Amino acid sequence: MSPSFRPAFAFTQEQIVVAITLALLVLFSVTLDSFLTAGNILALIQNVSILGILGVAMALAIIGRGIDLSIVANMAVSVAWVLQLSNNGVPIEIAIVMGLGLALAIGLVNGFLVAYVEIPAIFATLAMGTVAYGFVRSLLLEDNLIYLKGAADTWFKWIGSGQVVGIPNSVLLFGLVAVVAHVVLRITVPGRFIYAMGDNPTAARSTGIPIRPLIVLQYVTAAAIAFVAGVIAATSVDSVETRIVRSNLVYDVILVVVIGGVGLSGGKGSIRNVIVGTLLIGVLVNGMTIMNVAYTLQNIIKSLILLTAIVIDSLMNPRDEQTSQQGDI
Amino acid sequence: MLDHGRKAMNRCILAAALTAIVGLSGLAAIAHAEQPDDGLVNESAAAMKGKKVGFVPIAMGFDLTEAWAAGLKHDAEAFGYDLSIRDPNWSVDAGAQAFSQLISEQPDVIVVHPPEIQAYTRLIQQANAQGIPVVTMNLKADANGDVFIGANWYDIAVKQTEAIVKSCGQGSGKSGKIAVMQGVLTNPTSQYGIQAIEATLKQHPEVQIVSNQAADWDASKAHAIAVTVLKANPDLCGFIGMWDNMDVGIAAAIKEAGKTGEVALVSSGGGNQASACDNVANGNFSTYISYDAKGQARDLMMAVRSVLQSKPAEPGTKSIALYTPLKTITKESNYPGACWNLDDVKKYGP
Amino acid sequence: MRETLTRLRYRLVPDHVLGEILAKNWIDNAIPFVILLLTLSIFGALIPGLVTLGGLGGMSAQFGELLLVVLAMTIVMLGGGIDLSVGSVFALSNFVTLALFNMLGWPIPLAILAALACGAAVGLVNGFLVGYLRLRAFLTTLVTLIIVRAVVDMLILAYAVKVARPSTRSAIWDFISFDRVFGMPVSLIFALLLAFAGHIFLTRLRPGWYILAVGGSRRSAYNAGLPVRRTVAMTYVVSGMLAAAAGVFYASRLNAAGSDTGVGMEVLALTAAVVGGNSLGGGRGSVFKALLGTVIVLIVSNSLIRLSLPTGGSSLVLGLVLLAAVAIDVKWLKNRAKVLSRVYVSPTYMKLGRSPDTAEHSGSPYAVNDRLKNVELIGLGEIDGPEDPILDAQGNLYSGTRQGDIVRFLAPDYTRKEVFVHTGGHPLGMAFDRDGNLVTCVAGMGVYRIGPDRKAVKLSDQTNRSWFSVIDDSRMRLADDLDIAPDGRIFFSEATIRFDMSEWMVDALEARGNGRIICFDPRNGSTRTVISNLRFPNGICMARDGQSFFFAETWGCSISRYWFDGPKRGKREVVIPDLPGYPDNINRASDGGYWLALVGMRTPAFDMALRKPGFRKRMVERIAPDEWLFPNMNYGCVVKFDESGRITDCLWDRSGANHPMITSMREDRGWLYLGGVSNNRIGRYRIPGADPEWTAAASYRGEKP
Repeated sequence: MSPSFRPAFAFTQEQIVVAITLALLVLFSVTLDSFLTAGNILALIQNVSILGILGVAMALAIIGRGIDLSIVANMAVSVAWVLQLSNNGVPIEIAIVMGLGLALAIGLVNGFLVAYVEIPAIFATLAMGTVAYGFVRSLLLEDNLIYLKGAADTWFKWIGSGQVVGIPNSVLLFGLVAVVAHVVLRITVPGRFIYAMGDNPTAARSTGIPIRPLIVLQYVTAAAIAFVAGVIAATSVDSVETRIVRSNLVYDVILVVVIGGVGLSGGKGSIRNVIVGTLLIGVLVNGMTIMNVAYTLQNIIKSLILLTAIVIDSLMNPRDEQTSQQGDI
Repeated sequence: MLDHGRKAMNRCILAAALTAIVGLSGLAAIAHAEQPDDGLVNESAAAMKGKKVGFVPIAMGFDLTEAWAAGLKHDAEAFGYDLSIRDPNWSVDAGAQAFSQLISEQPDVIVVHPPEIQAYTRLIQQANAQGIPVVTMNLKADANGDVFIGANWYDIAVKQTEAIVKSCGQGSGKSGKIAVMQGVLTNPTSQYGIQAIEATLKQHPEVQIVSNQAADWDASKAHAIAVTVLKANPDLCGFIGMWDNMDVGIAAAIKEAGKTGEVALVSSGGGNQASACDNVANGNFSTYISYDAKGQARDLMMAVRSVLQSKPAEPGTKSIALYTPLKTITKESNYPGACWNLDDVKKYGP
Repeated sequence: MRETLTRLRYRLVPDHVLGEILAKNWIDNAIPFVILLLTLSIFGALIPGLVTLGGLGGMSAQFGELLLVVLAMTIVMLGGGIDLSVGSVFALSNFVTLALFNMLGWPIPLAILAALACGAAVGLVNGFLVGYLRLRAFLTTLVTLIIVRAVVDMLILAYAVKVARPSTRSAIWDFISFDRVFGMPVSLIFALLLAFAGHIFLTRLRPGWYILAVGGSRRSAYNAGLPVRRTVAMTYVVSGMLAAAAGVFYASRLNAAGSDTGVGMEVLALTAAVVGGNSLGGGRGSVFKALLGTVIVLIVSNSLIRLSLPTGGSSLVLGLVLLAAVAIDVKWLKNRAKVLSRVYVSPTYMKLGRSPDTAEHSGSPYAVNDRLKNVELIGLGEIDGPEDPILDAQGNLYSGTRQGDIVRFLAPDYTRKEVFVHTGGHPLGMAFDRDGNLVTCVAGMGVYRIGPDRKAVKLSDQTNRSWFSVIDDSRMRLADDLDIAPDGRIFFSEATIRFDMSEWMVDALEARGNGRIICFDPRNGSTRTVISNLRFPNGICMARDGQSFFFAETWGCSISRYWFDGPKRGKREVVIPDLPGYPDNINRASDGGYWLALVGMRTPAFDMALRKPGFRKRMVERIAPDEWLFPNMNYGCVVKFDESGRITDCLWDRSGANHPMITSMREDRGWLYLGGVSNNRIGRYRIPGADPEWTAAASYRGEKP
């Protein structure tokens, strides 16, 4: 999506991130013995696949000039409800349909609040995350921590813990979600419309694009993807901890999306950027882990790298006082 | 004549109704008086009736606080005292707020579950100063209050360390590398537990701590940290976890790494079936130190009863310590009934 | 019968008040205030003893801290940003204070200063990145949130044990921790004082205005030459310090350095700020809104804990309250202007008397003629909007223009022109005082005196405020014409208090007495309203008795006389009840009469519309302003009347080529000078038989009639 007037010598943020990732890969391969093994590389991607899938959902919202801060809450509570239902004897297939329905309903409300009530997306989804967690936790769930018991021996368990030809399912599903999302965004009409809307909502509306239904669609799709991520996460650790809602995970998701070069102002970037961002974080976290860097220090390093990326981006593609948009925070 | 007849009939009905009412209330009186006064039973019940009890847990919705609350609810119903539970949902600030709010309402006893050593210290003193007795649950604060019911964290950590030394120390043939997963650092579990671990390990220099981090009682955070630790130390021998609800995150990480049974995980907690015995049975925890929250609930009921019946003259001056007896659960000692079931406690009382 | 009812209904129901209330700035706070009342009543009903001093007092310690953090968030939001790092800074400051005091034994003032410095430092980083490097506020402060939080976590991991136990005592620390002043904790007193200071800062001081300007429109602020980057950066520094101050108080209250300190505080603060009515994206907001939002959020969140809801129940209710509050706020903000534009114009009933005939040869004194056909033109195309031309003793011609100048055409031929003075507003009515100073009513500004040295002095721009007026009517919106009494008092008309100069015609649709006549007394500098509720009072001219003046009510189509002195003092008489047109300025004539300009002629259609307020209301609501039925302002004339109100002369420009709309005329040395507020020329008409020596100044001195 790089505009044609950009000078030839400037790098896009994506190129910078790819370069950093490759540099880190080389560096770690040389310095760390156990880094460049097939097992470790697979483990590396497996570790970030949930983050990556959530990143795809977030990217979808951000490209359409929105943001979805409720995806983590949505993923946790909808899948926790699935587990709870199946523990109480509901067949897993029906439980999944109900859980997906819950997730989509939350997405629908998000979309409605943003599109029709016109609450700023940051605030609407932030509040919806709280509401969704509160609603499900107080009325549908019995505990903070829901174990996978009822469906422990079914195909459901296989989703997050199995593997196909040696590749863990979570990695495959990340790939699948990414490819589908990419194709939808690039080829289908709604996908192109989302770009148009993110680029300039007013112009998009003037040209006849049904902005409001599109926004709703965007949040509903994000919710569906989040549900997939939640299923994978739950089946890989056999439980859902709903207190994850209070964690920094959603910030990590934004980090992955933005670091890859998806512009927060909408209309810019693609799923490829999400993959690049996810890989960078994966390589970084994996390398730091092997080097035994403490968890909190890892957070600091991750954040500093994100900061560096956005500073470089802002220096290379400076925002102009004349063209910056009002209320664009 | 007709009129007179109707009046008479009306009178008849009235009389019958009156008789019925009197008879019924007589029966009720009999039902009450059925229990003979043994000299204490009526007096003690009267002393508790209508009193106000406040409870500020760290959060509701997990086994410990639910069991304690079940105990209090049971007594509140049985003796007719008024129980008010304020759930700050893991927020220290909200908890402090709820506590000071309770103090301003002047209940007859406040039960608190302090999230940190210091956070409630001033509030406990303040409550005592205003003549309100305070019962502290499980986590010891710097101020003693009137009754402390809970585990001796030094003891627990000693037992946990000894267990891990058994699997990782001399003669085990393992690396001797262990990791410690703490909860909230300013909590007595950490403050006293770490000292116990260090003191015990002094006698076993072959066992060394390679990672010592805090997960804030959060299983997902513990999971993330454990994944990192396991990867950084492929030859790790064991984990000491400080609370079962959090340690399931470690167990999941060990499982993901395919090292269940290979990496020991020594946990501790309230001995709830789902989070303790089940996890020992399926190999998630290798050793588990239980401080039996169901028993604590019982202790709490008794403590509240006694404080309500005989209020301390000067609250906070003479503190009673009720340290909970500890129970070590391993695969071998995991007998049926070693744990308790939360649903049953909720339904039938502790 | 029906018309009587209509008249009564519009006389008794003050429709205009609704629009005036909606136009108030403080109405912006109405929604959060209603939410606060709702919150209080709902939770007050659910929780006995909540709405008592004790119930609310229990929250006061937390209130002070939260208020500081909300202020921190608000000031950044006002500048168009957002600061998510407040919670982390709060935790950092809490830790730093405790570490320095408890662990290192620093004196408490130093420890507090160091904590504030830490907060300012984080704010500076944010401010540099967002303000100078222009990164996105949301992302940048998100990153600092994570980094600072991680730093605090690492510090706690290393020092938690030592930090929590105080090694020394300090009297100051104990005062902050335990003492209450006026029954309030120190933190609350401090926060309230700071909030007050913040209010003064934002509404009265230049840097505060800069913040609002930058938040309102960064581009315009930049183009206006404001230091945009520095202003933005400063908001973050202030925010960091405020959050740090809150952290210090938290440290004093709980003395605990737990890792969950301040977690989620940014969300709570953001919520409070937004629920209070501060807009995301900047420009709209105030300290009072922050205060309202804080109270609402605090009451809701505390009440929810007290209600002992099942786990998650409080999240659910809190989230729903927020969504509802913000949804209402968003809708309100979006539709307020729409609603206002529909309700503000509120027509009333008015019935004018029969309009006199103006047909040619009808024998009416107003009969159309063509005597103004051959007027001389002065300054054609060079001036815009000469409402009321006037001449000085030397015969130079002065006139106001729409550009905010008073232009002077030099005698004798009036071909040379110069800007006499720049007033900044459109000068309307004019008069020379005895000392040769030019006194003028400047639209939107007030009454000014310009000396021969071209220095403009403000005489008056505010009068007494009426008790029951919703609109602040002490300020002058549309001072129109003036005249000077023999004792030096200046009487001037303010046409309407409900509309500005640009929409003066809309006042005609209301037909309510929105205007007034005001008196400025130079002897003591006082300004008082003399007559109010006039229908667009316009021209004012002193009568020759020196005790009264004539004034015109434009929409009332009448001329009245008011005695301000003498035996008839305070009396008001209608001199000409029903004019065929809308009267504007009145000036003296050389024959002892008075010239009166009719700015437009009445039409039967509009006269009828005046009797049907419902029709005008529907018109205003349903169709575009361009299509509204207005009084005719395209065609008028000049008439002369004597003191009894008899019309003695009439001058028309039948073709409407030169002077279709005449707002004023001035006789001087045998000529009549014609002005029009929408014209681009001044006309000059030789009055047959007029005294060639007569000037208005001479008349006022009593030397001439």
